[in-house]
Amino acid sequence: MPELSKLFPGKPPPGPFQRDFWKSPLRGPWLNSFLGSALLPLILICALTGFLSHVAYYPELGDNSITGSGAIGFDLYFFDWPTTPAWLYAFTQGLRVISGVAAIPILLAKLWSAMPKLFEWPPARTPAHMLDRLSLALLVGGSLFVFFTGILNIQLWYPWGFSFVPAHYYGAFIFLAALVLHLVGKIPVARRAFREKGVVRPLRDDLAHTEPEAPQEHTTAPHAPASPTMSRRFLLGVIGAGSLGLGVMTAGQVVGGPFRKLALLSPRNRGFGDGPNEFMVNTTAAEAAINPATTTTDWRLRLDGAGTPVELSREELLAMDLYTESLPIACVEGWSTTQDWTGVRLRDLAALAGIEGSAEVLVQSLQESGTFNQATLASSQIDDERSLLALQVNGADLSIDHGFPARVIVPALPGVHCTKWVSSMTFTDA
Amino acid sequence: MPEMGKLRSQYGEGPLHLLAVIASFAIATYAFFEIAAGTAPINFAIWFVAAIVAHDMLAFPLYSVLGVIAGEAIGPRPAAPAGPTALNYVRVPALLSGFAFIVWFPLILGFGEDEFVESTGLDTDPYLGRWLLLSGVLFAVSAMAYAVRLRRERT
Repeated sequence: MPELSKLFPGKPPPGPFQRDFWKSPLRGPWLNSFLGSALLPLILICALTGFLSHVAYYPELGDNSITGSGAIGFDLYFFDWPTTPAWLYAFTQGLRVISGVAAIPILLAKLWSAMPKLFEWPPARTPAHMLDRLSLALLVGGSLFVFFTGILNIQLWYPWGFSFVPAHYYGAFIFLAALVLHLVGKIPVARRAFREKGVVRPLRDDLAHTEPEAPQEHTTAPHAPASPTMSRRFLLGVIGAGSLGLGVMTAGQVVGGPFRKLALLSPRNRGFGDGPNEFMVNTTAAEAAINPATTTTDWRLRLDGAGTPVELSREELLAMDLYTESLPIACVEGWSTTQDWTGVRLRDLAALAGIEGSAEVLVQSLQESGTFNQATLASSQIDDERSLLALQVNGADLSIDHGFPARVIVPALPGVHCTKWVSSMTFTDA
Repeated sequence: MPEMGKLRSQYGEGPLHLLAVIASFAIATYAFFEIAAGTAPINFAIWFVAAIVAHDMLAFPLYSVLGVIAGEAIGPRPAAPAGPTALNYVRVPALLSGFAFIVWFPLILGFGEDEFVESTGLDTDPYLGRWLLLSGVLFAVSAMAYAVRLRRERT
């Protein structure tokens, strides 16, 4: 062995570096493995749906990519996001935020369970051990960073001086890269713990039968355990109840209807009332700095395509063939609400602009600044007959906060790409 | 295979570990370059490290000390030897209420109120009350469960 250990005093410093410092009789490889095994599926669901969300934005079209500059011109993009089923984005994004929130109690329990490892002595035994511990800093920091930036984002609190999307997105790469390394090292440990103790057998022990795991070198099993004050199944039951409770309270703002009331602490558990326009808003007209005067009689929708641009007033749009579709507006923040939208089909507008067949459209808003004052839609999204330039919702004119005079609504499209206060649409052959 | 043996003795692990380490750190470094190109890398690094410090050096010691104080105040052992301790009737609602707080503290404390009002047209006023109500219910249910338990153990 290369004696890296010799660089450090043989006797650990006082306090948490002393192995007798850690008293909990519940800690040990089995508990660590069990918590890790419970946490992993939630992390995988959250990560996969996160990458799907990136795909749903069609990052390769126009200025749709919001993850940053793409320093090496590479983008994780695997397929064209469909428009069917219409609730697809509400589902994947709801799942993402529910799994992320539900993971928090298990993540915190996992960190509690593994905490003695932070104070291992000597701090590095071999080069491999040193690299493992460096990677653990990326794992722990990455998990806290990714989960909590997400949690702060859904509550619209941005106390940091970086832009959220690239930091959260590439922060996830750092976290997941460290997680893979962690799994390479820990899957054998978990297999051994489960082989020795059984996957669920320790859950059968009540308090009277709760024994500490055997203390071994380099594990979290306590060398000087106190007597237990709860069984492992009790601890895991409370963690599980916390995870389930938080999950249910988040699910309410995805499922909607009467379940929305369950989302007691979630940011989108209430609208404004019962009227046709009283459902929740992501960006108010005030935030987008929309001047109401520009939305009334002088407003025209400009259509660019082949040939001379066309300008349409709202009356002219209302005189076109109108269709009503029941479609969800689904936010990246994991809440959604389904409403009945009435308006003109996007493909009819494409035809009016002189574009036949496969096309893309750049939709621009009256909103002058902000990442989402424009979006580019794919040809499959224009072609879907449910894709509308909505003028009305639930039988009433759109309110200004919902995008009056006109907004885009496309099935399974992230809410922020359903551009509000539309001023122009530029169709190009795809 | 003497090379492999040498790797294991010098490095401390086998070749799979070394490959995984290289892959992992390469991807993490790539991601950091993307962050450096796309947003403020110093602020990212500060918040990344702050997340570790906030958990390991603040949150963990704080809740551990609270746990010890609760344990000493209430006493670790129940009246009947095999029953659950009174301690857990405090720990459980505190933990569940704490989980709700750790997830929704920005709304509960009204952080980001201005941004929230501008974006949603709603305010954060109800959330502190709702969290207190939730906590109150959790502690009340726990207290009732403890009262029932006490009664049952006396008879």
